[in-house]
Amino acid sequence: MNEKPGPRNNEQPATSDQQRNYPLNQLYFYLTEGCNLACRHCWIQPKFQGSGHSSPAMDLGLFRLIIDQAKPLGLSVVKLTGGEPLIHPRINEMLDYIKREDLRLTVETNGVALTQELAEKMKSCKNPFVSVSIDGVRPETHEWVRGVAGCLDQAVQGIRHLVQAGFRPQVIMTIMRRNRDEMEEVVKLAESLGAGSVKFNVVQPTARGELMQQGGETLSIEELVEIGQWVETELSSRSGIRLHYGHPAAFRPLSRMFSDDGGGCTVCGIFGILGVLANGNYALCGIGETVPDLIFGHAEIDRLEDVWRNTEILQQIRSGLPSRLKEVCGECLMKERCFGSCIAQNYYRTKDLWAPFWFCQEARKKNLFPETRVWRSPKIP
Amino acid sequence: MKDDVVPIAKPSILLREEFDDWAVLFSTDSGEAYGINPVSVFIWKRLDGERTIDGLVEELIANCDDAPDDAGGQVLTFVNELLAKGFAGYEVDGR
Repeated sequence: MNEKPGPRNNEQPATSDQQRNYPLNQLYFYLTEGCNLACRHCWIQPKFQGSGHSSPAMDLGLFRLIIDQAKPLGLSVVKLTGGEPLIHPRINEMLDYIKREDLRLTVETNGVALTQELAEKMKSCKNPFVSVSIDGVRPETHEWVRGVAGCLDQAVQGIRHLVQAGFRPQVIMTIMRRNRDEMEEVVKLAESLGAGSVKFNVVQPTARGELMQQGGETLSIEELVEIGQWVETELSSRSGIRLHYGHPAAFRPLSRMFSDDGGGCTVCGIFGILGVLANGNYALCGIGETVPDLIFGHAEIDRLEDVWRNTEILQQIRSGLPSRLKEVCGECLMKERCFGSCIAQNYYRTKDLWAPFWFCQEARKKNLFPETRVWRSPKIP
Repeated sequence: MKDDVVPIAKPSILLREEFDDWAVLFSTDSGEAYGINPVSVFIWKRLDGERTIDGLVEELIANCDDAPDDAGGQVLTFVNELLAKGFAGYEVDGR
């Protein structure tokens, strides 16, 4: 045994060989600077794009150029998100290009602009996966969250179009004080519509989500942990579709993570993902909209290969995750899977890539972090 | 792997049992962590360098009300996975 006992806690600089071993698997395209909804928890905080207004959106030629440069680096999956990707004026041509390039498609949409034609076009792409946001079963709840009257019916209709096209879409519900009592009803609605799964997201204290937290509209850590246990054990057992709850891996029951029918244990894909903002900026992800430090270049100026291989922050992440994670994340037995849960959020909050995830940090302070998932290396006398 | 070899758990692997009788196996060398089910926990606790695979299977069947017909195969698969991950080895000096 060559290594010292204890979890890895010393940064090893990445060699050039190691750098070459990071394929760029996925591009996350934040296609529009505007959005047709005005969600009060949005961490991207796009401009509201009501009728008669339009905001800048990604140039189609640039979109194609980026994909062309990414394919030799290993690109296999394109995620379209926003803003709202389906209001992009050239969305049809973008979907055509994704199909032509035989790339897997993932779309995150609010469903409002989702027509039957778009659903069928998305379905014609390779292994497409679409998620639609539903934050409550009552219009007054969903529309309080989303900021636009009538958008619940439109989102539900969007899901129907997807199901009609052959999808089993995922419904995403972001839970907060206002809608927590509608979680089970959202699952039932999703089942009745033909959705394949429901994912419950926790409001992240980023951008508008941070304002919600400051206003007391988000759930406390005690509530989030308790609801997580309820979803993982009770609600999942009586649901006919798969449920995911957005708490970090340390809080997930092992039986759900590692059994064949428990939903699996996905390992964070951060080492193979790059974000592209609507204006052509490369960034860690959509966090580039609010944290300029995490913008790595521009597609019209910089070659993607240079950005992917040589950006210092990306290199730091590759060499430092998970070994440099601090505090509870550094001591967590799940850190090789979780990688600090969301390094973008951690950096937004602290300007430190290795800072612990807020959820785990708060849970630890309240003695809610599972002690069986913590290991501290013994101190050498 | 022959049935008469004697597997032994690596001392640097932690076993953390949880509320639902599943447990985490955590390598203090590599930082890898895996979840194992209650039957696997039963076997892990007996990888003491004293029991053969056959002995483990016999003990498992004796302690389970509904052991599957291929319990021996499943035990062997689990032990082989542990060996492949470096979480277990063979007892070199025998019993």
